[in-house]
Amino acid sequence: MEIEAVPNPGSSGGSGAGMQVVALALSKKVNAVLTGYCSPTAERYLLSHDIKVFRGVSGVVAELVEKFKTANLRDHPEVIQEPKLIGARVNKPTLLQALTRSYNQFMNLLPILLGVVLLIGLFNAFVSREFVSLMFSGNKGQDTLLGASIGSIFAGNPINSYIIGGELLEHGVSLFAVTALIITWVTVGLIQLPAEMVALGRKFALVRNATSFVLAMLIAITTVGVLDLIKGLLP
Amino acid sequence: MEEADAAEGPLPGIRPAHLLFVFLPHGASLALGSSISVFLNILFPLCLVFGLMVLLNLFLKPQHIAEFLGKRGGIQGVLLTVTTGIISMGPIYAWYPLLKELRERGVSNSLITIFLGNRAVKPLLLPVLISYFGWAYTIILTLLTLLGSLAVGFTTGALVKDQTGSSGPE
Repeated sequence: MEIEAVPNPGSSGGSGAGMQVVALALSKKVNAVLTGYCSPTAERYLLSHDIKVFRGVSGVVAELVEKFKTANLRDHPEVIQEPKLIGARVNKPTLLQALTRSYNQFMNLLPILLGVVLLIGLFNAFVSREFVSLMFSGNKGQDTLLGASIGSIFAGNPINSYIIGGELLEHGVSLFAVTALIITWVTVGLIQLPAEMVALGRKFALVRNATSFVLAMLIAITTVGVLDLIKGLLP
Repeated sequence: MEEADAAEGPLPGIRPAHLLFVFLPHGASLALGSSISVFLNILFPLCLVFGLMVLLNLFLKPQHIAEFLGKRGGIQGVLLTVTTGIISMGPIYAWYPLLKELRERGVSNSLITIFLGNRAVKPLLLPVLISYFGWAYTIILTLLTLLGSLAVGFTTGALVKDQTGSSGPE
């Protein structure tokens, strides 16, 4: 068997990596692609060029090619081996990879988080409880609506909403408002609404966000209600 | 470079924070002390968050999420979607292109909505939520958010017609 090994142009895993591999497969006039994962777009391109795609494949390349040649795979053009949702062999390289990935994710999260912490410091030092109570009147319905509205405008990692919510609670803001803020922070996105409309359709985006907003207020009221009930039952 | 310049302000070397310490030294000290206190409060939960991140990255690859989202219909499909929503990471807009693709493949609006709703449930960040609000609150909020995501999913699915053959929960 004649073998040609070529570098993987998509090994960086960055944007467009999949399409670089598609371009390589087309240029090499391959008949089949054996891969662990293939994005829907890349798979569509490959299939449209009569290239079979076998997803969920992992292992030693030579063994897999041999399996393919002996028709074990060719007879099953669907996913031949479903990926396990959880499960991987833990060894030094995978641990190092996981640590690097986690470190990068954490470093991405940290600048905004530190910014929020510094802003909270300023908020605590310069904004009085009286001023906060002017905004949040103490009326459950109005406060919940205001909290949900603030959460809908802001976006980003939910950890920031927990910290902001916790500090607002310290300033006397009701748990109804804080809970509504925490929920809508992630489930409702006014800032990313245009992007959601483009990707998933105008009606879908509007209905989903509106329903999520209303339900966030209901969840906030129910959460605090159940919490009060539990506290009342405890001695 | 531009960002650095913007942060410097009009006078090189003088940032707004420096000005605050010059003109309002007492308030600025209070603010800094308060920020340090907040940071110290979240330091231990943040360490737990990092540990959970490592575990998740060790045992779960992002492509698994895409593979499983909308793979099956019925209750199994809903449960898989809930799970993938919970374990998905990164900003929401990063998921839009994939969700668009999956919907074109026949994944229903209900499942897409359930996925987006469950992004509010973040096991990784629970240590921080618990440190601020306590166990009872965290458990109640998490359970209600899960149920709420299903309610929003089915409502959106009922109100917005699916594009193609659905693999929805019906």
